Amino acid sequence: MSDLSTDPQAPASAPSAPAAPARRRWRLNSRSPIMITFYALILGLVVGALVIITTTPAVLDSWRGIFHSGTGIFRALKVTWDNVGAAYRSMFNGAVVNPANLWHSITTGQGWEATLTPLSETLTYATPLIITSLGVGIAFQTGLFNIGANGQAVLGGVTGAVVGSMVHVPMIVHLPLTLACGFAGGALAGLVPGFLKAYTGAHEVIVTIMFNYVIYAFLLFSVLSTPFQQPGQQNDISRTMDSSAQLHPLFGAASGLRVNYGIVVAALAVAFAWWFLERSSMGFDFRVTGANPAAAKASGINAKVVIILVFVISGGLSGLAGVVQVASTTHYIDGGFLIGSAGIGFTAITVALLGRNKPGGIVWASLLFAALGVGGRAMQGTTGIPLDLASVIQSAIVLFVATPVLVKEIFRLRAAPVVKLELATKGWGA
Amino acid sequence: MSVTEQSVASEVSNRRVRVIALMMGVIGLFSLVVFAFGSVSSAHSSFLFNPVNLSESAPWHVGTLTLNSRLADVLLALVMIALAAETFIRRPARGVMWRFGGVAVLFLLALLIWAARSPGPSPVSFVNLTALLIGSSEVTMVLVFGSLSGVMCERSGVVNIAIEGQFIGGAFVGSMLASTTHNFIYAAIGGAVVGGAIGWILAFFALRYLSDQIIVGVVLVTMLGSLSSYLNLQVFTPFPQYNTGTLAPNLAIPLLSKIPVVGPVLFNQSGFFYLMLILIGVISFALFKTRYGLHVRAVGEHPRAAATVGINVVRVRYVNVVLGGAIAGVGGVAFMASQGQFQPNYTSGLGYIALAAMIFGRWRPSGAVVASVIFGLSVYLSYTLTSYQVPVSLYVLQMFPYLITIAVVAGLIGRVRAPAADGVAYHHD
Repeated sequence: MSDLSTDPQAPASAPSAPAAPARRRWRLNSRSPIMITFYALILGLVVGALVIITTTPAVLDSWRGIFHSGTGIFRALKVTWDNVGAAYRSMFNGAVVNPANLWHSITTGQGWEATLTPLSETLTYATPLIITSLGVGIAFQTGLFNIGANGQAVLGGVTGAVVGSMVHVPMIVHLPLTLACGFAGGALAGLVPGFLKAYTGAHEVIVTIMFNYVIYAFLLFSVLSTPFQQPGQQNDISRTMDSSAQLHPLFGAASGLRVNYGIVVAALAVAFAWWFLERSSMGFDFRVTGANPAAAKASGINAKVVIILVFVISGGLSGLAGVVQVASTTHYIDGGFLIGSAGIGFTAITVALLGRNKPGGIVWASLLFAALGVGGRAMQGTTGIPLDLASVIQSAIVLFVATPVLVKEIFRLRAAPVVKLELATKGWGA
Repeated sequence: MSVTEQSVASEVSNRRVRVIALMMGVIGLFSLVVFAFGSVSSAHSSFLFNPVNLSESAPWHVGTLTLNSRLADVLLALVMIALAAETFIRRPARGVMWRFGGVAVLFLLALLIWAARSPGPSPVSFVNLTALLIGSSEVTMVLVFGSLSGVMCERSGVVNIAIEGQFIGGAFVGSMLASTTHNFIYAAIGGAVVGGAIGWILAFFALRYLSDQIIVGVVLVTMLGSLSSYLNLQVFTPFPQYNTGTLAPNLAIPLLSKIPVVGPVLFNQSGFFYLMLILIGVISFALFKTRYGLHVRAVGEHPRAAATVGINVVRVRYVNVVLGGAIAGVGGVAFMASQGQFQPNYTSGLGYIALAAMIFGRWRPSGAVVASVIFGLSVYLSYTLTSYQVPVSLYVLQMFPYLITIAVVAGLIGRVRAPAADGVAYHHD
């Protein structure tokens, strides 16, 4: 699985024959991955709007009435615009900033907490997402599809929370220990699929998906079993982590903003991933294996070791994300931890694809998808449109990003030739 | 198949046969230690054969079979170990899968005997085998639909990871149509249309734009999961009359359904079950005995060669992926029709288990069916075994079907050969 097919600039950047400057700039724009991402974002929002239009009774009713009067069509368009507009406006207000609040804060100097809360929430949500996506991205760069990131994050959260709540030592030891145990838990969950892939050829997609379900069952088992379950509780709730193992809010608990020191962990993870992929020799081995397995083998790279290490590192980062999630928000784990639409491991796959598996791209993609997620929650609160719409929009964006040619066709950006792409997946056997 | 298989029987596959044999041996030893010696020597296990709901009107009565738990489990374990040893020493070129499947079935039997042993802490000390088979047949049926869908797509060279998404889409639309029309034929048609549409989207991206098939498939599953959960809140919650969870009625086939054990399991089922039986036959015949099937397999093995002799590779793949999607969509309806009300995420990975069943079944409809039966039994057992004398948490039991899937995928890939062009994009120059 080499050179992801989602990488449109790879074949496009090859012909660099000197062209007229103006033409070249135009071509650069239409082919640039950033522009494709931007267009994909627009298309994703259009898909989301279509979903809203076809499922909101008020909008449907207004369209049913277009033949009853001469102005029916205008009224229908207005109702549609109002509904879709309200949804996306509340999304923006909930994820970035509410202009009314901002204006209030600027003019009166009051209410900064309410003004900054959306951004703080987006950053809080983005923090573990960045870390998980780095793990998924590193695997993609090596030609491996780690779809088990969610399970790895859950296991990392469980192991981290066990150490955070049941070991009692000073913070200087406790916090690093907790984070390390989270990493180790995720790495363990990654080790098994990696080992099986390396030594039996079992396709990592099936193994990691099955492992997700194994870990979900383990999560329920662990939060309902005596040592880890909150004492005196019958429900699926774990013990609470010690204050010394928590990632505290950046501006203090009094600020009311949840953005926390997890951001420092995420920044370190980004720096590590960048250094690892771009500067370290092992990272080079990884990328060579992903780009051309045959060449990697010929140059003496041990593919088995690479596969196992990729899954250990990828799983470890996911586990770290899991423990960051617990340590920075709830401080305890329940049976629904990261399951369902809160599953950052699945969002991470789309984030990694959107960010083209590069650490920098992943940071931006995480912020965007975190904003969509947080905004989706705000939208659910104000307009009643379910939060899952955000996830629909996210998957649509990725589908379009994975198919740059389609995006170009839709926006009529140049007669895009169907280039022959090196495919990422090679079926079951390889 | 046999010629290729023997020519591939190199050192690597010899070693793999040994690994499989070792796995079988470990399973046998586990049964011996845990199941056989985990029951007291005087313990008995009883098997009932009369289905609960039929017992009054049943024209037949099969007596209860009572076994000494330890003795029976020792015997079963010894058979498993003997099979493992035979495989390890002889390393047969063919039939390894059948031996492995046989060990899996014996293991499940040994597990049942152990679980139903008396005296135990729980009052249930018998297994109603007929009820068990009927219960697991619902899961099996869904897995068969899914793995047949996989066979259709992958034989033509497209990996359909989106089976899970097609299940979800089919279940959603099926529930809506079944609740509003009270007619499962409409529900099945609706499910087929939705599944086919998802298949078409997959084919469109994979064949026209040569996107990565696995990524598109996974994104489709994510999208269908969130879309269905969105629609569930937006449509089913305010209008519960669209999601009443009507179950498909059983249609007893006049004489056949009166056969002891086999009758109620195979001939007193919903229409979806019979549809599945027909599909198994039709697809086996179509893929291996017709011109169309020859074209499909040629396209899946060597698309360029197929194109050279004038087969339209892209069209064959489109047709198969859409048909495969439709089959999985009907599978989603069948799941809904046996489980009731649609809920988001309630297929819980069955689509992926179906893919593993297809691999276990060596990309053949018949093999996929056998694998689906084994997987279906283990999924069903993982949910029902807690009512027996099993000193293990429900959640630990629930891991087993997934762990078995992993073991199968790990043990058999490389041993079984996928269609050569499976998952590889085709670009016509």
